[in-house]
Amino acid sequence: MHLGALSKLRVVEYGAQYAGSYCSRLLADAGADVVKVETYDGDHARFRGPFPDHIENTDWSGLHLYLNANKRSVSLDLSENNDASLFSKLLVESDVLVLNYSVAVLDRLRLRRDHLKEINPKLIVTAITPFGLTGPYSNYVGDDLIAISAGGFAYASPGIPDMVSDPDQEPPLRANENIGEYLAGIQAATATMAALIKRRFTGEGCEIDVSYQEAVAMVMTWDISHASYVEPKNRSPYVFGAMPNAYLPCKDGYVVMAAFLGHQWNKVVEMMGRPDWSQLEIFADPGERARNWDALEPLIMEWTLQYTGDEIAKKARSEGVPCFPAYTVAQMVESEHVIERDYLWSFDGPDGQVFKLPGFPIRMQGTPWNIRRLAPKLGQHNKEVITEWLGHSSEEKNLTGKEYE
Amino acid sequence: MNRLPLEGIRVVDFGQIIAIPFAAQILGWLGAEVILVESSQHMTNRALPPFADGVVGVNRSAACNLMHSNKLSLVLNLHDPDGVELARKVISISDVVLENFATGTIDRLGLGYEEARKLKPDIIYLSLGAFGRSGPMKDFVGFHSVINAFSGLAAATGYPEGHPRILGGIFPDPLSGSYSILGILQALYHREVYGEGQYIEVAMTEALTAMMPESVAEYTMNGRDAERVGNRDKEKAPHNIYRCKGDQKWVAISVSLDSQWGSFCVAAGKPEWASDLRFIDAGQRLANQDVLDSLIEGWTLNYEPYKITEILQHVGVPSFPALDSLELLKDRHLIDRGFIAWTDHPETGWRPIDNVAWKIDGKRPVEYPRAPLLGEHNLYVLEELLGFSKSKIQRLVRSETLV
Repeated sequence: MHLGALSKLRVVEYGAQYAGSYCSRLLADAGADVVKVETYDGDHARFRGPFPDHIENTDWSGLHLYLNANKRSVSLDLSENNDASLFSKLLVESDVLVLNYSVAVLDRLRLRRDHLKEINPKLIVTAITPFGLTGPYSNYVGDDLIAISAGGFAYASPGIPDMVSDPDQEPPLRANENIGEYLAGIQAATATMAALIKRRFTGEGCEIDVSYQEAVAMVMTWDISHASYVEPKNRSPYVFGAMPNAYLPCKDGYVVMAAFLGHQWNKVVEMMGRPDWSQLEIFADPGERARNWDALEPLIMEWTLQYTGDEIAKKARSEGVPCFPAYTVAQMVESEHVIERDYLWSFDGPDGQVFKLPGFPIRMQGTPWNIRRLAPKLGQHNKEVITEWLGHSSEEKNLTGKEYE
Repeated sequence: MNRLPLEGIRVVDFGQIIAIPFAAQILGWLGAEVILVESSQHMTNRALPPFADGVVGVNRSAACNLMHSNKLSLVLNLHDPDGVELARKVISISDVVLENFATGTIDRLGLGYEEARKLKPDIIYLSLGAFGRSGPMKDFVGFHSVINAFSGLAAATGYPEGHPRILGGIFPDPLSGSYSILGILQALYHREVYGEGQYIEVAMTEALTAMMPESVAEYTMNGRDAERVGNRDKEKAPHNIYRCKGDQKWVAISVSLDSQWGSFCVAAGKPEWASDLRFIDAGQRLANQDVLDSLIEGWTLNYEPYKITEILQHVGVPSFPALDSLELLKDRHLIDRGFIAWTDHPETGWRPIDNVAWKIDGKRPVEYPRAPLLGEHNLYVLEELLGFSKSKIQRLVRSETLV
């Protein structure tokens, strides 16, 4: 097996939220040797679940398994002198330090570049915070909901072709996953790679300041480009300027359908058994169909409600009309496409069950990402890492915390 | 040392619409020379509204000008054999190729990875598809709502009594573009040491599914499908987006610790809520969210979102307005941090543009030349990069190649 593009890279991660964990996971999958430094309580993801049979188990939390695969765990209490000194020694041996605490904590623990460059001038310090290290709101606290809201993603959702029915009553919307945290993790990993490439020329480390708010706003580029050129669209019931580009109820759920081009529309009315509609003036072109969508939508729904999502989608696609049913997670996981591409990553659970998690969104053919180890138990690698990185024999190490297996 | 990380790297951008244009733009911001290969015969985001001042024009589209900043425009017709030959020459002097045509298109043009690596043995070549380049659905047309619907993310978005919802922001595009950038940087890092390029594949559906580990784990561990919970969370309460004073103004509030709840009640001037047994700990607050949320909205309705944020953040309670895109451009924090930059353009004037989500040693590590006019850099590419003679260029101009 190829060792990965980052196989000689040493990373220390220390954080209290999920973005830092995801950032270093994205480096670990590419081969980096990542040491996750946890407090003696353990990373929060260990307590988040979901758990097998819904029974709390800090080694088998689904989110922990996802965020911390390929890492080794060392437990330290940085308020204790011995542990703080071990932490500093690990940093001397590291290329990258990924941090995910508030600015106040970073300052208090002296985990800022100004201090850390005395320990290791080549160290790249990647600090991920809700609002960044500078600016009027840099001391603001936040989690995923705050990031999704502050970065404009909540307000933009639901987005076309779905729509808000009552803009005064229906709030901006977040998905039931920590997407803002993961976006900050991706951007932090990207910034870290850019800094590593630059370090080849300069030989110097740096401090990277990643903001959750900006990580979310950065991917709202479509909406920002609209705001930059025209007033933003408001959230009132709104249709795309060309129809049907729609989200429609069907017998067993919903389908999305894009049939705004003339030839697509003609196919749709044929499928509906109303070919004569292609002659109607009020539905004559994409713009007319958008203007008269209130009249058209119920007519199309009469048709879609007679069939299942799969039936409609199959029929539509055979006529060259892009269409797809809204899948449940189960349908996605069990789909032929996902299975044939071997996207989900399978591993054995505590009682031999087979669990699956999302696999690698980047498929690098020359230096493939790979899973070398499951997420660690808390402090599982205390001895191993200290011996390997610092060359101490295990007797010399002097951790204040309790011993783990 | 004031050097951009990707100085000296040349990128060929065959990107369509958003995902790859977005990725290539950021590689450009990081210092790469990005050659956007486009054709007036087949325009994607140059033809998309909105246009500056509502006037349609190939150099006036917001999507184009804010997703191609810092690129060079080379117009050539890939339906013309000479155009393909020219593209091959550009690949042979480049380091990175990016494409997101429909599956199979770039191979039929003779510009796929296997051809590209013959032209440039250490080329890094990234191919992005809606459903990826293999599997039974590889040829499906994947507009963003289809990606939301297939990945299962729509199923985890919305309200318990409602239906799956589609997220905004054409999210699958910039998300898969972001993963693409990371892959390219890792490949460049590897190439620097080992001298080898490689092929990278990204599927938009897989990028979206990577956002939903908890839903996938819950299904594969316990057989339960994703739950739609609106803006709520299984661990935290209050955790929602509340109406405020003003027209469609909203604020997000998230409380995880009991101590934060105590602070919230004092700051909101509702000390009686702190001792209310229905809200006494996280378990109680989760169990009584309906009444909790309606009480909180009764309070937030009296203030503007930024005012609520100021009151709550002052006592360490996570809160922020749910900003729309225009408010993002005006947010004083984002402006102070230099996240909002401005670019000038000969046809559209000064326009605000977003930035990368990070600073390095206190500075934005990017440069912002404007987006190119259609075909603006044909001469530079042909003459200076490829060393074509004037007469050869004249011949190409007269043929159907450079259109």
